[in-house]
Amino acid sequence: MGVTAHDLIVKRGPFALNVAGFAGGPSGTAVLGPNGAGKTTLLLALQGLLPAGGAIERPARSAAVFARPAILRGSALWNIAVLVESVLGAGADEARERARQMLDKVGLSARRDADARTLSTGERQRLALARAVAIDPRALFLDEAFANVDADARPALRSFVAEYCAQASCDVVVATSSLADVFALCSEAVVLADGAVTYEGSSRDLQQASDPFVQALFAEGAVTGQAIR
Amino acid sequence: MVRTGSGGRSSAPTLGRAIELISIAALSVAVSGIATAIAGLVAIPAALWIVLGHSRLRGALFALFAAGLGLPPVAVGLAIAYAFWRSGPLGFFDLLYTPWAMGIAQTIIIVPLVGTLAVVALRGGDPTLPMQLRGLAIPRRDRLRLLAREVAPSLAAALLAGFGRAIAEVGAAQMTGGNIEGQTRVLTTATMLAVGKGEFAQAFTYVAVLLGIVAVATGAALALQRRWA
Repeated sequence: MGVTAHDLIVKRGPFALNVAGFAGGPSGTAVLGPNGAGKTTLLLALQGLLPAGGAIERPARSAAVFARPAILRGSALWNIAVLVESVLGAGADEARERARQMLDKVGLSARRDADARTLSTGERQRLALARAVAIDPRALFLDEAFANVDADARPALRSFVAEYCAQASCDVVVATSSLADVFALCSEAVVLADGAVTYEGSSRDLQQASDPFVQALFAEGAVTGQAIR
Repeated sequence: MVRTGSGGRSSAPTLGRAIELISIAALSVAVSGIATAIAGLVAIPAALWIVLGHSRLRGALFALFAAGLGLPPVAVGLAIAYAFWRSGPLGFFDLLYTPWAMGIAQTIIIVPLVGTLAVVALRGGDPTLPMQLRGLAIPRRDRLRLLAREVAPSLAAALLAGFGRAIAEVGAAQMTGGNIEGQTRVLTTATMLAVGKGEFAQAFTYVAVLLGIVAVATGAALALQRRWA
């Protein structure tokens, strides 16, 4: 079972999100849109973290990386190991070994014994990615998960996520404002504006979308010389 | 000339006096400790509700806590003394001039303090933490355990402040306990009596013990915080 939604309606104060249909997949679905369009709301609703109308399905074991990940008191290694023990029922040694592997994959080995609360914003995002993948999820929700990571480290982190999702058949839904995230992780894209879907289709055809936010993204990419596949 | 004790400056403390001092100190710790525990049982769940709940009454309760910070202990003492007076509305409980009446008064005095500090502490943490832990597929029991672990140091500080205020309180203790020797005499009321009789050495001894108890409680709370950190 993957991530799907039908007739999804979420109301948060005066804001309303309406999505007639959503289908995730291991090849990735990007959720794009300007600030306040409803990207985070859609991700939270798909995870069952917000009250929502309509029919939503998702795998029982799903994991999220928030734009500002909450970090627990303790070392970076412990932050991952405690989740592996809890979610996968692993023993302490096995959990620590998995935590070490995950920290290695996101380039945080040198900081594994550091108090996780002293990590920089980018390091926290790496830790959040590592702990999300560590619990071997079948659906992964990433909300601006690479935004604060060093630019030169982002390609490796995207590859880490893409390889995991392909190997584990894990659906991945990515809320982002980065075309690089879209093209590295997602074959499909959904564009939101004011809580409504303005584009839904292949990310390859995204440039054809008339949505002004998407056009602005491509224009910015062209100006900055960003390599777009 | 200042009198330093009923037996004069050179008199050695008798065994009887030492036993009396220990029993007074033990009663102080017991009454204030129980009052703090009960205040914690009332104020901490209320603080959690204020921070995590959705009811509109949360603001009203927090305002009540904040207003209660300025509640004069003597007013609480008066109310309890009146309520438990033999002809008062709760007189049939026959609790006036017992440690129970003192404990009830201390509990009422410190609930607003513990509640307010707990709310401030809980709000100082990451408000999205409970949701983020849900987003990582962690079973409910482990989520609660992890949340409790995160907030425990802050809540311990709130409880310590409550204990410190309870054990240092004198007006309500005098009115509701009556400072009866061997029954309701605690360190603060004993100090007041000693000063009234001009027995300053005795008064200083009581205050030294009081300060020692507060120091031990503070040390224990700090040690726990260091261990949890």
